[in-house]
Amino acid sequence: MMTATSRPDELEDIQVDLDRPWNVVVWNDPVNLMTYVVYVFRKLFGFSKEKATRLMMQVHNDGRAIVATGPREKMEMDCFRLHNHGLWATMERA
Amino acid sequence: MKGPFRLVSGRIELTMDPREAEALSVVPGLLESVGETGSDPGADQLDQAPYPDDPVANAEFRRLMAEEMAQSRAADRSAFSLTVEQSPHGVTLSSGEAEAWLRVLAEARLVLAARLGIQKDGWENTFPEDDPAVALLHYLGWLQQSLAETLESSLP
Repeated sequence: MMTATSRPDELEDIQVDLDRPWNVVVWNDPVNLMTYVVYVFRKLFGFSKEKATRLMMQVHNDGRAIVATGPREKMEMDCFRLHNHGLWATMERA
Repeated sequence: MKGPFRLVSGRIELTMDPREAEALSVVPGLLESVGETGSDPGADQLDQAPYPDDPVANAEFRRLMAEEMAQSRAADRSAFSLTVEQSPHGVTLSSGEAEAWLRVLAEARLVLAARLGIQKDGWENTFPEDDPAVALLHYLGWLQQSLAETLESSLP
């Protein structure tokens, strides 16, 4: 049993960590067509054709691109919607 | 680009010949054949883990989302199955049905590719097109491209 405890000095750090945003990363896959990926980015995130095309090319050339950044729950929903369209998407700390 | 799908008065028309209709008719069965993860590469492909190094977070994500994903996929497959049989010469889709088709085409292609063992870009040059599964993968890709372009042309 604990007899007593004290307030940890790092408490603020914990809160900061919980508030830290997350990225949604889309990874290159050999199957989905470029035009399809551009359309999905535009439809799900409201990107312009230019921005969607730039991110698609980044996925194609670099293997990955960050397509969204924000609170964890919202990013998980974005991840879900990408999975639902057959895109390979993961979460990472921003 | 000219493709098989066209936007006509707010609806999406697909023109095809009976041979293409026959190819498309196998898609619902293909998706129904997706088995359990761990025993079917197609199932593994569809069951994504969003946290690369955190099995606990993945389990929680699945607990929250798996049912919704299954329902969404079932609704898409149902919309696809009902419309694909309209006519051997073509179908006319609402925008909602076209979105369902788009997800079904992506899902079917991922399952086919996973079962073929396709893992890298450039597979088009090494997998022979006279393999029926490879031919179907190409055909569904041709449709995916045209449908995505058609739907994109109607975005604001």
